[in-house]
Amino acid sequence: MKSKLLLGALVALMSAGGAMAQSAGSIVVYGGGAQITPHVDSGDLTAPSLPGTKVDVKKASQVVGGVVYMWTDNIGIDLPIGPGYKHKVVGAGAIADVGKLGTVSALPVTLLAHYRFGEATSTVRPYLGAGVTYARFFKPISTASMSGITGGTPANPTLLTMKSTGGPTAIAGVVVNVTGNWSVDLAVTKTFLKTTGSLSTGQTIETTLDPTSVKFGIGYKF
Amino acid sequence: MKALQTKIVALAASLLVAACGGSGGSADTTPAIKITSVKVFGDSIQDSGTFGYKFTVQTSDNLIFAERIAANYGQTLCNFYVFTGTTFAANSKAGCTNFAIGGGRVTYVGAGASAANPLNVGVQMATYAQIGTYSATDLVIVDGGGNDAADLVGAYLAVPKDKAASLSGLLGTLLTPTQIGTALAGGSAGIAAIGSTYMTALADKFYASIKASVLDKGASHVVVMNMPGITNTPRFQMVLNGIAAASGGGANGTAARAQSEALFKAWISAFNTELAAKVGSDDRVALIDFYTGFNDQVATPAQFGLTNATTPACPIVGVGSDGLPVYDFPKCTGAALSAAPPAGVTGGADWWKSYAFSDGFHPTPYGHQLTQQLIAKSLAAKGWL
Repeated sequence: MKSKLLLGALVALMSAGGAMAQSAGSIVVYGGGAQITPHVDSGDLTAPSLPGTKVDVKKASQVVGGVVYMWTDNIGIDLPIGPGYKHKVVGAGAIADVGKLGTVSALPVTLLAHYRFGEATSTVRPYLGAGVTYARFFKPISTASMSGITGGTPANPTLLTMKSTGGPTAIAGVVVNVTGNWSVDLAVTKTFLKTTGSLSTGQTIETTLDPTSVKFGIGYKF
Repeated sequence: MKALQTKIVALAASLLVAACGGSGGSADTTPAIKITSVKVFGDSIQDSGTFGYKFTVQTSDNLIFAERIAANYGQTLCNFYVFTGTTFAANSKAGCTNFAIGGGRVTYVGAGASAANPLNVGVQMATYAQIGTYSATDLVIVDGGGNDAADLVGAYLAVPKDKAASLSGLLGTLLTPTQIGTALAGGSAGIAAIGSTYMTALADKFYASIKASVLDKGASHVVVMNMPGITNTPRFQMVLNGIAAASGGGANGTAARAQSEALFKAWISAFNTELAAKVGSDDRVALIDFYTGFNDQVATPAQFGLTNATTPACPIVGVGSDGLPVYDFPKCTGAALSAAPPAGVTGGADWWKSYAFSDGFHPTPYGHQLTQQLIAKSLAAKGWL
């Protein structure tokens, strides 16, 4: 249903026509929303723990914005900016039933190079791109459950930290130049990230996150 | 306009703080449900100090698992009973809700046995049911049956010596003379089967007490421990080794040992199977699989941070009438153990902190922590923590 609406909107926007070019030297500022879904492959929590103690990280949504600088008519540099995502961390594997272990905020800082197909004046410009992401994890808050299953207490709770980490990012998207300086941007990004979670008990857990992010934005060219 | 600028600056500043601040963790220690009181019934493994000490290594912070669970809810425990030297009196300290007593049994048959003796776990529960009430903010933790199982094994091993007198006596607390007579006439197979029948009846009795004095009195958050595999304790491993030696050692000894171990395990399983059936899918009960949890710890100690799951940490102070080592908990202090690490141990002064057993039958404080973690996992799964 959602995708149908989106498609409808795109068609409507495309038919509006008369779009302005995104040519070399233009700067497009865009804003919108994104949903980031980690595809978690968790290692086991190191001893002492139940064998097969794993974690899962839930998806999160957030408003995002960003700036695209068109270096040439086809190559753009994209710097998305957002306030960071708040992810729920839950038990998996041997502790799949314990629920929420904590929350952690993630601020992915990404720099991407796009190759935009078509002419600078084209209305619809699909693009592919690649870049790097540095994910900064901050404000981890562990729950009473986390303390309980790791031997902590309210007086001496078990604390969680997640190592900030970097990885390559790929992006595929489409820009539709709507009318005047306005454009619409829809993109899917995939980032390859591995992090290490650490508990104040001295235990660690290696976790592959490899998030996929779907982003929708409306841009204005300056 | 000025206001908007201020807002933008404030927003930017908050983003900056969010991005740069606090990569260190913090904790929201509020449990999922509010618990304002923890009531405990059971035996030595949950005794907070009825005899003036705990059944583990003595330190200032040797919280036993029930106390650790209480701590998860910001609560503390103290012993309701005090041993006077001959009997159990109420602790003069008010507000103590840990009724567990070392030596507690589902059916106490030792010295001073009576239907009112608080060494019967059911009496502990009935005592509180008479003086207090339960509400939704009470957490109850009950264990029992481990000492009863040890009694059964002891009576079984004494059969050749006392012509099954003690076994008949013990079985008679729950079974009919006809049942017992038929079983004893059936030889070893009959005795093996009657052991399971007894343990099933014991689970029925244990559950009936919990139901009558706890669940039916309004408790809605009840943790019930099933029976741990006591055959894994150093004490029972020595008993089993004794069985092997009595059968002449070698292959015969190994076979006899394995047969006895399987028999004792079958009895414990009979208790646990019946207890699980009785609890059923009651939402008010968190039945803890202490049996499997404890077996896992002994089978894969390193996974649980244990360096030793076979040797007691406390020193042996003598030999009992049963030929097994005797330990003295009041003298087994953390300071004394740290001061004298045995040859070959790792961890220096902390060597005993990664041992599973304090004496031949009871866990170290760390062993208690592992059990607390096991319980906490079930509590979290039920949405109680």
